[in-house]
Amino acid sequence: MSARHVNATAPDDVARLIPREEAERIWEKLRGYARGGGTTDVGMVSWWAGEMRWARNRATMASDRRDVMLGIWRTIAGVQAGVYMNQIDDESLAAAMRAAELAVRLKGGRRLIDLRLKAPSFEFAKPKIWSDATVNLATEARASVARTATELAAARGMHSAGYVEVRAHGGARFSEEYDPLYVTLTQARCSTTVRDVAGTGSGWAGLSSYDWSAIDPHALAERALQKALASRDPVGLEPGRYTVVLEPQAVFELVRAIVQMVERYPAEQSAGPFTLGRDPALGMARSKLGLKVVDERVTIGHDPMDPQLGVLPFTTGNVPQPFRPVKWIDHGVLTALADPQRDYALSTRNENVGVMNSGSFRMSGGNTTVDEMIRTTKRGLLVTRFSSTRVLDADSLLMTGLTRDGLWLIENGAVTKAVKNFRFTESPLLVLNNLEALGVPMPVFNPVENPYDSAGLVPAIVPPIKARDFSFTSLVDAV
Amino acid sequence: MSVINRRDFLKTGTAAAAFMGLATTPGPLLARLGGARPEPVPPTDDPRLKALTARALDAARGAGATYADVRLTHTWARTWNGANPASVDPFGAELLAVGVRALAEGQWGFASGPVWSPDEMARLGREAVFQAKANAVGKREHVELAPAPVVPDGRWVMPVAIDPFELSPFEMSDLLAGVLLFTLRQPGCKDVRKFTCSLYKLEKTFASTEGSHCTLRTYRTGGELVMEVKSGDKLGPASLDCLSPAGLGWELFAADRVPLVRDVSIREMIRRTIEETKEDLSLPIKPADVGRYDAVLDARSVANLVHATLGPATELDRALGYEANAGGTSWLSDPFGMVGSYRAGAPSLTLTADRSEPGGCATVGWDDDGVAPDRFTLVQDGVLADFQTTRESAGWMKDYYAKAGRPYRSHGCAAAPSAVDAPLQRAPNLTVAAGREALDFDALVAGIPSGIAIRRLQVDMDFQHLNGLGLGRTYEIKNGKRVAIIAGGGGLLFRASELWKGLKGLGGAESLERFGAAAEKGEPAEAHFASVTAPPAAFAQLTLIDVLRKA
Repeated sequence: MSARHVNATAPDDVARLIPREEAERIWEKLRGYARGGGTTDVGMVSWWAGEMRWARNRATMASDRRDVMLGIWRTIAGVQAGVYMNQIDDESLAAAMRAAELAVRLKGGRRLIDLRLKAPSFEFAKPKIWSDATVNLATEARASVARTATELAAARGMHSAGYVEVRAHGGARFSEEYDPLYVTLTQARCSTTVRDVAGTGSGWAGLSSYDWSAIDPHALAERALQKALASRDPVGLEPGRYTVVLEPQAVFELVRAIVQMVERYPAEQSAGPFTLGRDPALGMARSKLGLKVVDERVTIGHDPMDPQLGVLPFTTGNVPQPFRPVKWIDHGVLTALADPQRDYALSTRNENVGVMNSGSFRMSGGNTTVDEMIRTTKRGLLVTRFSSTRVLDADSLLMTGLTRDGLWLIENGAVTKAVKNFRFTESPLLVLNNLEALGVPMPVFNPVENPYDSAGLVPAIVPPIKARDFSFTSLVDAV
Repeated sequence: MSVINRRDFLKTGTAAAAFMGLATTPGPLLARLGGARPEPVPPTDDPRLKALTARALDAARGAGATYADVRLTHTWARTWNGANPASVDPFGAELLAVGVRALAEGQWGFASGPVWSPDEMARLGREAVFQAKANAVGKREHVELAPAPVVPDGRWVMPVAIDPFELSPFEMSDLLAGVLLFTLRQPGCKDVRKFTCSLYKLEKTFASTEGSHCTLRTYRTGGELVMEVKSGDKLGPASLDCLSPAGLGWELFAADRVPLVRDVSIREMIRRTIEETKEDLSLPIKPADVGRYDAVLDARSVANLVHATLGPATELDRALGYEANAGGTSWLSDPFGMVGSYRAGAPSLTLTADRSEPGGCATVGWDDDGVAPDRFTLVQDGVLADFQTTRESAGWMKDYYAKAGRPYRSHGCAAAPSAVDAPLQRAPNLTVAAGREALDFDALVAGIPSGIAIRRLQVDMDFQHLNGLGLGRTYEIKNGKRVAIIAGGGGLLFRASELWKGLKGLGGAESLERFGAAAEKGEPAEAHFASVTAPPAAFAQLTLIDVLRKA
């Protein structure tokens, strides 16, 4: 820290989050304000974020932000309605309860008999999702991350842009139907893009984790710089099919689409990539459960206790339900599908509720290094990451998107030149069927942008892969 | 666990809605204004708010700020979501926020929170300066703000015909249920897949150490109606175009006509949309014949193209690389070398910007720098003429403006969704100038012997907003008539720089339509709404591809 900091006064440290006791007091007060019978449900979020942004080798904004959000729902005679607000004084709380009761009348119409039964008592896993290193990353330390990154880039005549953010989140859920829940979690992220001044090359590196100490900002800055230097003055190649070496971030962009689609309901309605279509004998559509869908080296699943993931162990909707260890794809075979009928399962008091999909996942790998993948490639492309991906056809999972921030030609076992970006049109399921090699899985960058979302991170652990016949459909001469 | 917020609410759709339900306005929220106890939040022009903002500014100045500004925001949101006329789910929120932005040692710092109290104002003022000073270590470049007139006592209210927050929510609920019932009873309407109505009001107090103190109230209203239309044995989706977000009140739903949005009632628009979709469904379907075609795009498609290409590309901070690590940069990569000479489009292309335009979603009395926005021209007769600026980024244009003999000022494009968020340079309302001849979409189609026509083009761009992929409802044109629909895989592949140079014809003033849309920018990401007003247009030789075809 430079001497100039001695004069800067640290601001008064007011509470960054609503503590558990305060949350419980607010809940008790709200219950006391209820009028007209019925039941009350309350969700409470408080968050703090410390942020530092830089671009063109200068920090552009340093910030300290926090907010609160309360969702207050009233259920009267089977009609549920509520309001959102961010004040926790007595009068505001009482007024919010009146407004929620007005909303119930406004919603009106649907006077259903309340068949909801007391929710089952769930056991939740207790993964580590709080990191002191994250909340203790002070303003000066965040500024120092920006300074290091910009100095590194400036020394090579390049422009650095980037962002570092640490966040703490407190969430509470109260209901007359189940035990109170209170959780605190952290999220840290750092990413940086380095470009040459003429704008002919661009390199990116980034990582997110609940734990700041898992992130090495210097290594990220160095990596983005090296990619930028090596990606300058790219040549245009013909679109076509190429063998690709995909870095973990690129693999993540593809595999995420698979994980988002492991849903039972569409598969049994003849929709999505995991349906076999209608079975006339059954009179309904069948899913591909039990069938091989990708290369047998691939296992994709989720375990809330995975120490590298650091993920909230339960759902954030309606009645919180646990995420349990699950393997969607086990050695290439589709072995589980998420069950979207959870609310139905709950209302019928079926404790064996469907498997929940957190979106967070770990994909199995191998022990081939990226260098070895390159060494064994006669002609192919090395991809840093994809951008602007979208699914074009949900049934085949055909996707399109762009390569970004570093694309190179591999010839005879070595990276030979920087290549202009491509648009791709490919299905991740086919990519995972065309595998040649897998590397060691590692965490990738996937922060949750919305600070009010108490799911926190949706982390993923993904290996680099080498695959053949990847379809690049048009040249994109943007850097 | 969570309070699922509105963004998630809209994203997760009806399944989540069943649980989360609803709402109407809580109110009144309370603030601590210096008295013994909290009291209802007063209107923005209450003198006690001046005392609050002064507290924040004094604290920032005392801590060493050379400039500081403070925003107090009070927002109300109300949304209906549902496709069942017997029960359109209401949802509502009311939020308070305060944010202080400070310049100290030439660098920015920002601090924000949800509490309106004298102590919190002082804390945020000090914190913002603390952030700025940490930011300042080792810095050579200092932020310079373009001069702006001080607004000592400004008050502005967006002119809307009907303030939705003054109406009974029961009355609004009735109207929405009526529209839904009307839609479901139309011959040809098989089902309503989605029906939403979003109402939003923001009251803001802005004050700065330069002596400005102004208050403004803005509104934003929008919605979606997606139907399933049946013609013979064919089914197809149809969505209502006249509900995109606008700087309007309840009149967007209730008025008989809304300038630049619709000339007839919402019910008549629904009827016409169903008829139009039935006609489309009766056309033969052809596979995409890959190649280059003359094309006519409807006003919505042209507006979406502007929103995705020239809009972001003329954000000066983006063009200089300030968004490189987020949404990307601009193909106008040498802004100071290009402005005044670069050919951005055909000579018939003129693009103006205006945050004072009535009905625009980005319309304000003063921006988040306290600057009254002006009407300015981004592209004049095809030549790049200017960039979108804030007080900070206008400073980067200072030399150019001096050389060109133009005033050195901000165009008033600073914006943040609420006081929790630090302001960024965001899109103003944009307008593509209409052509001289009184042509509409069908008249432009009539001028094409052989080609394609596209409605409701949705656009994906690269990270320089240069190369795009567009997907919309695509028709084959033969002898000036739409004769077939091109099947699902048909899409446009284009380069923005070439696209606008290929502009061949524009609809007349009567054919102008205004659409609002949201965009994200920055880290942390912030949402922002802006309107684009555009006529339908004809383009030369656009590339049609089959997006489902692999290499």
